[in-house]
Amino acid sequence: MQFMREINRLLTGILVLFGIVALAAAYWAVIGPDTILQREDNPRLVEAEASILRGAIIDRDGTMLVDSQQDESGRVTREYLYPSMASALGYYSLRYGVGGAEAAFDSTLRGDAIQNDTTRALLQSLLHEPQQGADVQLTLDLDVQQQIAAAMVGQRGAVVVLSVPDGAVLALVSLPTYDANTLDANWDQLVADSGKPFFNRVLQGRYQPGGALETPLMAAAFLVNHSVDENFAQATSPVLLDNDQFTCAVRLPTMSLSLRESYGFACPHPFALLASELGAETVQATIDTFRLDQQPTLMDFETLPDAAETPQSTAENPDALLKIALGQGDLTVNPLNMAMIAAAIVNDGNTPQPYLLVGTRSPGAEAWTPAQAIRPTIPLATANTARHLQDLMRYTVANGAAQNAGRPNIDIGGHAALAVSGDGSLAWFVGFATFAGNEGAAVAVVLENSDDPGLAADIGGTALAAAQTALTPP
Amino acid sequence: MTDLTTLKMRMPRQVGSTAGRWVAFLLGLIGGGFIFVNIMALMLERGAFTLHDWLPLIIWIACAVIGGRLIAQRLPQRDRLLFPLALLMSGWGLVLIDRLAPNFSDRQTLWLAVSVAALLAVVYLPRALRLLRGYRYTLLVVGLGLLVATIVLGTNPSGQIGAPELWLGFGGFFFQPSEALKVILVIFLASYLAEQYPALRAEGLNIDHRRFSPRIVGPVVLMWGLSVVILIWQRDLGTAILFFMVFLVLLYVASSYTPLLIVGLLLIAAAGLVAYNLFDVVRLRIDIWLNPWVESQGRAFQIVQSLMAFSAGGIFGQGVGQGSPNYIPVVHSDFVFAALAEEWGLLGVIAAIACIAVLVVRGLRIGIMQRTRPFQGLLAVGLSVMLATQSLLIMGGVLKLIPLTGVTLPYFSYGGSSLLVNFVMIGLLLRLSAGEN
Repeated sequence: MQFMREINRLLTGILVLFGIVALAAAYWAVIGPDTILQREDNPRLVEAEASILRGAIIDRDGTMLVDSQQDESGRVTREYLYPSMASALGYYSLRYGVGGAEAAFDSTLRGDAIQNDTTRALLQSLLHEPQQGADVQLTLDLDVQQQIAAAMVGQRGAVVVLSVPDGAVLALVSLPTYDANTLDANWDQLVADSGKPFFNRVLQGRYQPGGALETPLMAAAFLVNHSVDENFAQATSPVLLDNDQFTCAVRLPTMSLSLRESYGFACPHPFALLASELGAETVQATIDTFRLDQQPTLMDFETLPDAAETPQSTAENPDALLKIALGQGDLTVNPLNMAMIAAAIVNDGNTPQPYLLVGTRSPGAEAWTPAQAIRPTIPLATANTARHLQDLMRYTVANGAAQNAGRPNIDIGGHAALAVSGDGSLAWFVGFATFAGNEGAAVAVVLENSDDPGLAADIGGTALAAAQTALTPP
Repeated sequence: MTDLTTLKMRMPRQVGSTAGRWVAFLLGLIGGGFIFVNIMALMLERGAFTLHDWLPLIIWIACAVIGGRLIAQRLPQRDRLLFPLALLMSGWGLVLIDRLAPNFSDRQTLWLAVSVAALLAVVYLPRALRLLRGYRYTLLVVGLGLLVATIVLGTNPSGQIGAPELWLGFGGFFFQPSEALKVILVIFLASYLAEQYPALRAEGLNIDHRRFSPRIVGPVVLMWGLSVVILIWQRDLGTAILFFMVFLVLLYVASSYTPLLIVGLLLIAAAGLVAYNLFDVVRLRIDIWLNPWVESQGRAFQIVQSLMAFSAGGIFGQGVGQGSPNYIPVVHSDFVFAALAEEWGLLGVIAAIACIAVLVVRGLRIGIMQRTRPFQGLLAVGLSVMLATQSLLIMGGVLKLIPLTGVTLPYFSYGGSSLLVNFVMIGLLLRLSAGEN
């Protein structure tokens, strides 16, 4: 039979080649999902990401803050309904990822964390249903946040409001901020912005404390039974340090003041004397007790401080103790930490650990699942010290530099102070309010490039009044 | 009269048994069911139900039933697997085109009907093989004339400037002459080699092995020249390589001279090297074959997306209409195999390869059965090798085994001329399988 041998060889060759093609297809089918499909240029990844129906975010009253809308082609757009919430909620962008609360609760909002039902997951993948995320309810209060944002117009800085005794974060304002709805278009500009809008000043910021350190120093003074009525001659005279002049929070003629009055007007001179009397060890112990050198954590938020981003004192000082006592040393403090100190003062010396998550709701479910967490309070001071500090702070709001924080029919205490930071100054207000029952609120306000502690106090008062409205049933 | 008796003796080897009949029937059922289920799934996915969507299935069933009956009447002793296999694959192709490029679906469905009609014409034409053999030079001149006409008058249906102009158009109807040239070439080579093979074998086997006689070298150089002409004037890398390889294999079968294959492959490599330096299209194909990943967003986008489609399909596939094969540019023609992989997975890929492989095996078997008829034998081998080579070129290309050559995947890809010619080839194989002299 002619050609038989050649045709048979040909047949073998062709079948081998078909086999090689099948093996190559098998190779890509098996190794692909872990290799080339993970490449950033795989459009399927973007498509899958864009079709995830991300969960909504609502505030403590149930007001919708962030919603996801799906168009006919299955693409989902994220809608941020209130511009003032941006610094609290963060952002979600297909191109630039997530930030803030969107990042902290990302796996829940995406629905990664709720895919534990295997048959459901299998059915979903078979039917190619887009992934659906859970809704998230946060402790934030839209009204409180909006009122603070309105009071902060034109300012840079941070405000945080905690509810006491539970530690719920009612408001979290960091300015300047950004519009998460137009993030993709403005990203390059925002990243280059010298105001650093993505830098969350409440969680990540570290500021020179200045006069705001007087509250912990007073706590130390109470421990060694200092009398608040003790008089200091020339209490209002400025302190000179490294060519910088440190003055009271308000302009006063040279006069003698009691320790209480000195605290009320945040005058540095008496506290410089007090610190040298207490000694370096006691001052450092106070800083440790109040955890001032630590970065507080808020659930899963990224809180890594970036020292280069925050205003820092650069002055070299031969008298370290004096510098520390005036809040002008190497120690920088965090706004959330200052609010926690205020919360401890109004809560028998124990500060609650701040939290943001109220509960989650799985896709399709009616009922909310409350977030389970045990958050023991942290003792910062004795109940006695706390009470003394409360009285001092009420005095300061009634008669001192923090008068602007006062609001009719609300029990408010606080302390307003100045700090020098680099070439400019910072204005601080740290305060509390008590409401009916054992409810209360704590606030910390810091204004960058401001020498107006009265404005900081006013913003603090606004925040505390808004917190009362939010927390007290009508 | 002696012819008749020998003919009868050969017949028992044919698939004419009841088992063959059942396999063919089953293949038809599987094909119909497969198209039905997939069109249904596509409709569900699109959320629209129209009678028009059933057109591919209706035409396909008509082709299967009418075509099957007419072939059976004319050629009772045919190979029963050829037609059902070709229909199964082209039915799958209709589903793919409906899914990937719905605008082209009607056109391709119409082409299927035309193709089956052409197959029937080949089957019914009296003394077809003898005519083809007798007028082989006329045929070759017509084929080369078409080629020249394409070089001079060729267009591209997409109307894109700079796209290869491989088509001849007559009022909205486009035909790719190189497709017709494929069959013409195989017929010509088969009849030429059928006459020359005893001499070739004598040269190749019995005389000095180290000497290349003009009898062998002549046709090789001629054919190589034709391929180069196609490459240079048409920038049609796929067709050029396809022609040359089919020729090489046929010459090998006829001469039984193994070094030919080696020399041929060296010639291809040499041509490739020259072409790499001369033609942008070749350089591009080879560059992105060697390393597509660095240019995954640029020139290598197509091949990278193709590999991702294979990966996204995994073993079981995403399901028809559920994957994203449309990320691959012009997926419905050259890259239809990648789309098939994404939606039907590795299982679908293996099934498709099996269909083509079985068709090729049957074709080669028909070649073996021709015994003392060298023209018929070489024709069957040539047609089978044409199918196999073209399939391997494009499947290997989309899988990055070899550089991409723009040829269609027979029966699956969009393209009327390709489908028509591939059915004509089935028609010829059917006649050969029936033992026609």
